[in-house]
Amino acid sequence: MLTRKTLITLATLLLLSPIFGVILAEELGYHEPLDIVAEELKLNESEFTWTPLKDYTVPGLPEWLGYIICGALGVLVIVFTGYVIKAALGRRKIEFSDS
Amino acid sequence: MHIPDGYLTPAVAGTTLLITLGTLLIASRKASLEKETLNEKIPLFTALSAGIFVAQMIAWPIPGGTSLHLVGGALAGILVGPWLGVLSMTLVLLIQCLIFHDGGLTAIGANILNMGIVGVLVGYTVFRVTQRIVKKVWLSSFLAGWLSITLAGLACGLELGASWNSTLPVYVMSSWHAVLGLVEGLITSGVVSYLTVKSPKTAWWS
Repeated sequence: MLTRKTLITLATLLLLSPIFGVILAEELGYHEPLDIVAEELKLNESEFTWTPLKDYTVPGLPEWLGYIICGALGVLVIVFTGYVIKAALGRRKIEFSDS
Repeated sequence: MHIPDGYLTPAVAGTTLLITLGTLLIASRKASLEKETLNEKIPLFTALSAGIFVAQMIAWPIPGGTSLHLVGGALAGILVGPWLGVLSMTLVLLIQCLIFHDGGLTAIGANILNMGIVGVLVGYTVFRVTQRIVKKVWLSSFLAGWLSITLAGLACGLELGASWNSTLPVYVMSSWHAVLGLVEGLITSGVVSYLTVKSPKTAWWS
């Protein structure tokens, strides 16, 4: 599904991602335009959560490692979905040729 | 730009969810009509979705300001076409929301509408139209990336503004994203220009 070159590129980006998404984010601090709106309108995010992997963290692991693992998990789910779609299309093709 | 739970009123969240579901139905039907090419496009669809997911994790923080990262809507629309592009961004946004709580469950319709539908369709349309006029891939893809984020930000601002009866979100979201969109434009232009030279098979536009 993914070429060797694509996999290497994705793995490299995943390994580098905590530098930007965790370390620099903590060191420098920043807010998104949406945070400005929320501050001005006094909007509060709901506390309800449905996943233990909130904000790309893994409970019990350092943030940087959790970030990489979450990234890898996301890529795996996407690749799995790709295979499911490919298999479904293959089956449809057979059905078309049978009829 | 991922709206969390609690930022939209039920009326706005519900309306955006209905628009999104309707558009996804159209996107699925349109994409499945491309019988001959669809099977060949799935590996690119998968690589693109994975690439956008990882690229969104690489946010470059600007001290005391905001962060810069690729959103990817225009890139998705240009590379795999508008309908598969919408589905690619939807897959990324669903994973971000459901597995990593990046964006709220009640705001999933709005988030897909802004980044996955407005971002992709605007990016694709701007690329096609400007390609015909200027015939310069780097410029067309830059404008596509820039306008896709600017209008996605505007859509997000309109939803928040409609929720709280205020024009402030419209002004803040559209002006900030008009500036941040320049980086989206540069990255989109860089990737599309690179593929034009290195991967002529992918570059249907050349």
